[in-house]
Amino acid sequence: MTVPAVPYSNALFVDFVYLLRDYGVPVSPEDLLHLNEGLEKGIVKTLDDLFIFSRLTFVRRKEHMDPFERAFALYFYGIDIPPVAEGDMDLFRTKAFKDWLAQQIKEGKLPERAIHSMTPEELMDKFWETVREQMEAHSGGSKWIGQKGNSPFGHSGNAERGIRVEGQSQHRSALAVIANRRYVAFTDSRTLRANNLAQALESMKHMKDVGAHDVLNLDETIRRTARNGGEIDLVFDRELRDRISVVLLIDNGGYSMDPFIDITRLLFAKLHERFEDLSTYYFHNTIYQDVWTDFRRTRRLPTEQLLQRSPETRIVILGDATMAPEELEAPHGSLYYHARDARPSMYWLRRIAGRFKHSVWLNPILRDAWATAYGHWTLNRIRSVFHMEDMTLGGIKGMAEYLSETR
Amino acid sequence: MTNTRALEFTGTDRYYLDPELRTIVNIALAMEKPLLLTGEAGTGKTQLALEVARALSMDTEILRAKSTIKGEEACYTQDTVLRLNDARFGPGSSGRNVDSFYDYVIWGPIGRAFRAEKKVVLLLDEIDKTESDVQDNLLDILDECQFTIREVNETIKAKVRPAIFITSNAKRELSDPFLRRCYCHHIAFPSPEQMREIVLLHYPKTSPALMEAAITIFYELRERGFEKPPATSELLNWIGALDRLGTVPSPKNPPLTGILLKRAGDIQTYREGGRGRRYA
Repeated sequence: MTVPAVPYSNALFVDFVYLLRDYGVPVSPEDLLHLNEGLEKGIVKTLDDLFIFSRLTFVRRKEHMDPFERAFALYFYGIDIPPVAEGDMDLFRTKAFKDWLAQQIKEGKLPERAIHSMTPEELMDKFWETVREQMEAHSGGSKWIGQKGNSPFGHSGNAERGIRVEGQSQHRSALAVIANRRYVAFTDSRTLRANNLAQALESMKHMKDVGAHDVLNLDETIRRTARNGGEIDLVFDRELRDRISVVLLIDNGGYSMDPFIDITRLLFAKLHERFEDLSTYYFHNTIYQDVWTDFRRTRRLPTEQLLQRSPETRIVILGDATMAPEELEAPHGSLYYHARDARPSMYWLRRIAGRFKHSVWLNPILRDAWATAYGHWTLNRIRSVFHMEDMTLGGIKGMAEYLSETR
Repeated sequence: MTNTRALEFTGTDRYYLDPELRTIVNIALAMEKPLLLTGEAGTGKTQLALEVARALSMDTEILRAKSTIKGEEACYTQDTVLRLNDARFGPGSSGRNVDSFYDYVIWGPIGRAFRAEKKVVLLLDEIDKTESDVQDNLLDILDECQFTIREVNETIKAKVRPAIFITSNAKRELSDPFLRRCYCHHIAFPSPEQMREIVLLHYPKTSPALMEAAITIFYELRERGFEKPPATSELLNWIGALDRLGTVPSPKNPPLTGILLKRAGDIQTYREGGRGRRYA
């Protein structure tokens, strides 16, 4: 029996690997062995080397970069960075922020009265300032890492393999790299923005489709013809390109939808080459007997006509799905007095979902808030009819998968 | 330290090497793992592999991937037509022997890299253009450092493990097993500071005034959300042209923007209001 280079009991970073898993980075035992192999080889001389080496070992996709960097900051420096970018209002929902706020109040640094007079922006700035201070306190100077007790460095028996941080190295220090949050835009939980549009496009390119059998397969033709005793037998393959029709239905009723409309239209416009055709229609809050063909909602198209399209058509509906319950369920539910539609919106939504098996509702409200958002009753009613995704990179991926599944 | 870093790449006079990337390259060399580089055009992915080879005086074998490529031809192909011809008309004075299979083998980049006496840099360029099963095949071959010649059932094993670099433009996403076998690094677009270094490597005599103005305008344009935002090569061409004109561009109406913006739609948007669409 061979003795492993690093006995398990002694293997470093086991708990770091579990932390990575908690942060959503897929890791495997092989990765851990590889990491220890590298340590044995003496590749890592500083904590910064370790940062880069372990990142190479554990992270394969851009969307896992930011979670990795945050896990590293927590494990090796005891700094808890929330999973949002600076300036993102989602900060207030994070545990890191809540902990920080409680701490500030407890230590008397922020009296509760002061908090109420602060704008959200000020509070946010204050938080990030603290994070930056923590990071700066760690860079420079020569010290042993791991005094906080959550690091394996310097533990009994491992001391000779511990890593000493020798102040400024030739590289930018790991923390300086982490502080940049270069990859925060790529995380799956991120809202779709211009700067991560390319990521979303990547996942959309997975949409596969089967075109008509109209490409001549020469090899197969020759083979079959030969078998056929010279009688020509033509073999056609499906065209490789995706040629699918997409209908984009956009709720442009409220101002809250504006930023998402632009980005979604851009997303689909960038993909126009991939689609046979792309039609965009508009509605307000939900769909009744008509949709509109123009942004100002002046030209109508009967929903009935939309329902005539091929069942293979992909339907993407963009809307927050929140409204008054009667708008969705009641006959004559439309906000518009001239809409004389006796059938409730739910009737139309069910028909759309029934006709087009590839239909997805894309919601700018983030998934975690679906159960509690203002108007969540209608949201969840609609969810019972449509496959719903939120407008994050993960959501776009989910949408692309759902749209390309063969059902 | 022992000679774990016998091969240490420290950048070259032509290539700006980010210290982080330098560490990554050296770790990959030491651990003998393929390094997969992704990132948008103009981040110097392909160039990196070539510069590593140059700096460490290694030969380079390049596989430029195409969608039609099969894994096998990256290793070898057999020139059956030539062999048939030789069998029928005789090899003449070429020295080939019709009975010898290897006289008719044309080695592909992987074959050449494995057969080389010295360590070489093997670059698989734009791997994402190939089909995913081809990618998996290639990685099997690279992992084991050997492939089998089907016709004669012989195995070609690498004499020295090559230093493998793979680039991808993320045209389509690579499979998880593929990624699992590589070190993956996404080269971020250079920051303004890094860009200054890059410009200076190409145009050492750029005046500070021109540099500042050009870089400011360049990054401002990139922010605007054009369909095809200008990349490094466009900036370098632009600075080269401005240098020749002898002018410093003003942010209000920079000259020669045609060098920076390529798409008709982008140029149109730029000319009408000057502002592209901005997505918050």
